[in-house]
Amino acid sequence: MKHKSPAMRFIFSLAIGAILIFLSGHVDQLRSYQGAQAAIFAIAISSIVLLTGYSGQISLGHGALMAVGGYAGVLAQIHLHLPYPIAFLVGAAVGGCSGFLLGIAAARLRGPYLAGTTLALAVGLPSLANQFHILGGEQGILWDVGTPPASLGSGFTQYRWFFVVAVIAALATFWLLRNLLSTRYGRRWQALRSNPTAAALAGINVGKAKVLAFTLSSAVAGLAGSLFAMLLGLVAPLAFTLTLSFTLVTGAVLAGVSNLGGSIVGAVVLVAIPELSNAAASHFGGSDKVTANLPGVITSVLLIATVLFAPNGPKLPRMKRHSSRQ
Amino acid sequence: MFVQRRTKGGIFAAVVAAAALVVSAIPAHAETGVTSSTIKLGVTLPLTGAAAPGYNKIPAAMKAYFDYVNANGGVNGRQIKLIVKDDAYSPSQTLSVTNDLILKDKVFALVGTLGTANNEATTRLVNSQGVPRLFVNTGFSGFADMKKYPTTFPLFPSYATEAKIMGKYLADNFAGHKVALIYQDDDFGMDALKGFNTAGTTFVAKIPYAALSQADPSVIGKWVTSIVASGADTVVMFGVTSATGALAGGLYKAGLIGKVQLILGSVGSDGTTLKGLLGPLAPALAGSIAASFLPSPSDATDEYITQFKAINTQYNPGAVFDNNILVGMNTAMLTVQALRAAGASPTRASLIKAIETKGSTWASAAFSPILYSAKSHVGYTGYWFGKLGLDGNAVSVDGAGKYTLYTTDSGSAPVVKAAAARPAMPAKGLPKN
Repeated sequence: MKHKSPAMRFIFSLAIGAILIFLSGHVDQLRSYQGAQAAIFAIAISSIVLLTGYSGQISLGHGALMAVGGYAGVLAQIHLHLPYPIAFLVGAAVGGCSGFLLGIAAARLRGPYLAGTTLALAVGLPSLANQFHILGGEQGILWDVGTPPASLGSGFTQYRWFFVVAVIAALATFWLLRNLLSTRYGRRWQALRSNPTAAALAGINVGKAKVLAFTLSSAVAGLAGSLFAMLLGLVAPLAFTLTLSFTLVTGAVLAGVSNLGGSIVGAVVLVAIPELSNAAASHFGGSDKVTANLPGVITSVLLIATVLFAPNGPKLPRMKRHSSRQ
Repeated sequence: MFVQRRTKGGIFAAVVAAAALVVSAIPAHAETGVTSSTIKLGVTLPLTGAAAPGYNKIPAAMKAYFDYVNANGGVNGRQIKLIVKDDAYSPSQTLSVTNDLILKDKVFALVGTLGTANNEATTRLVNSQGVPRLFVNTGFSGFADMKKYPTTFPLFPSYATEAKIMGKYLADNFAGHKVALIYQDDDFGMDALKGFNTAGTTFVAKIPYAALSQADPSVIGKWVTSIVASGADTVVMFGVTSATGALAGGLYKAGLIGKVQLILGSVGSDGTTLKGLLGPLAPALAGSIAASFLPSPSDATDEYITQFKAINTQYNPGAVFDNNILVGMNTAMLTVQALRAAGASPTRASLIKAIETKGSTWASAAFSPILYSAKSHVGYTGYWFGKLGLDGNAVSVDGAGKYTLYTTDSGSAPVVKAAAARPAMPAKGLPKN
């Protein structure tokens, strides 16, 4: 990938998009939904990869930033009657702005302190919805993005439409991030992650680079949040819980934290785990309590196994050549 | 040319033949989730996570009742199979697992799905697939809107109904008293305020609190200070159970127990949960008045309670019979009646029609009538008032086993007071409707 030009990557993304959209016509609704879910998770995980894998900062609060993006997009669309694609961009922009403010604080913090701060955000922010009536309280705000355009034909299901929208957003995000990471900004962040002191000595403005990474990562999370609102048909505090924040970090670890392409693997694994655990539960039989707790167990085992055996994520064959990442 | 030569009789015959073909094709086309020997149903609720305690007892109770019915021949010869999915109370998980239930497991109907936002998240899917969603486990009155939720049947009374009824109870029994109100400052509390306004209740103090802020001791201190400052001798608590517990603790510390009469909304008055929350302080709530729609789970004279308890002992051994088990069994029994009424070859349409036309007559543990009709999806509409005993369970203010019921709607209808009457428990708890 490193040798490709932006134009080449664009064509590559278009080709992947075309293939996925073609394939979506040949699967059932459930798979379309899971595909859309995976695409949105992939965007959200890529925001963690950008933040942790490249700039070396940690966040346990990206679920809250998704909530910011989700609420911003929904409120903007409902109250300002914006077109839906613009609402997604508003979600990204507002997510980015809050990330900028948070990033100013985050740039001064490190390790456990940064983790603690962002964790507090994940715990506290969603309950804000109960304080302001415009945020709709516990049951949230309903958001119906409407049916697919009639020109696509009557057989084009809602879930397939969500899949198409999510895939386009994901590919656009990945294309932008991939290009950005091969510029000097990407290299600065990598320098920062490897050794902040050395990076500062080399003339990199560490604070500025950290804030920029946090802002950008939050914007990506905000976009994921507004897409998540589309998929759910609502925003509500319960949709953006601490569990979501942890799930994203889990996905990023499974992806191999500094591997943008791995985000897709991480997202697919996250979506597949409940499916796998269901299959296992029905095969071996078991009580509802076992079935309910199995996904958590599988996730934990995978997480431990990843950290023990493949701390840099699943290695795709071509990645082996780039030993510089380790 | 050919068409012109056709006689009217010929066209008529062709139409009849076509209609006959269509009609005869219907029974051959089995409904989703229904086979000759089974009916598949689904439920989503929190089995893991912070919201799970209590609610996670419901599916086992539902299964126990269905198992009991299955052991006694099932519904029109079909065995009921309930598929339980955990959503951890997160709407996104509810949607994911409901996708599984509807698109993969292909359930006939959803039953007793829990949570307001959780049910909202699956509405688009439920509506687009025309899946009946029976007896949803939430007090949000909006689900009775038949245009937005054509296949959804709420069961529990709305918060506005409850507040109106409480207003009437206060006017009848606490005239001249100084009453303060504590309420959760969100849609739940707003609904309640609306109800009290309709009832014309005046309060010496209205104390709003943000949801979950009851965990902060300074908030409880403010409640107590406001109550003392207002000179109130009666306090109405319209919040969740943990808030009720916190209030009782605060009053106890301030030495106000016995000096102010507490009146509790149904959301925050579950005896078992309160006992668990308050521990040694539990007796502080004794003498409080609480609104309920189902009978007290400890009422050994109630025929529904005794029958459900017997089924619970046999099919759900080890589970302590409480309000959650009662809710699960009651929901399951209404479901069995709905399935029976849907006919020998039930379809989703016939199930909905059956509930709309016959649902108001079915046996159910609540003393309140059910208002289902072709024009209404409103479930229970009534409450009775009980006094909490030392064990945390409510006993009717009119004496054990005697219930006075107050009924009304969410709107402007007057509150009607009557002796409670409900259909008798079917013999052995097996509906024969």
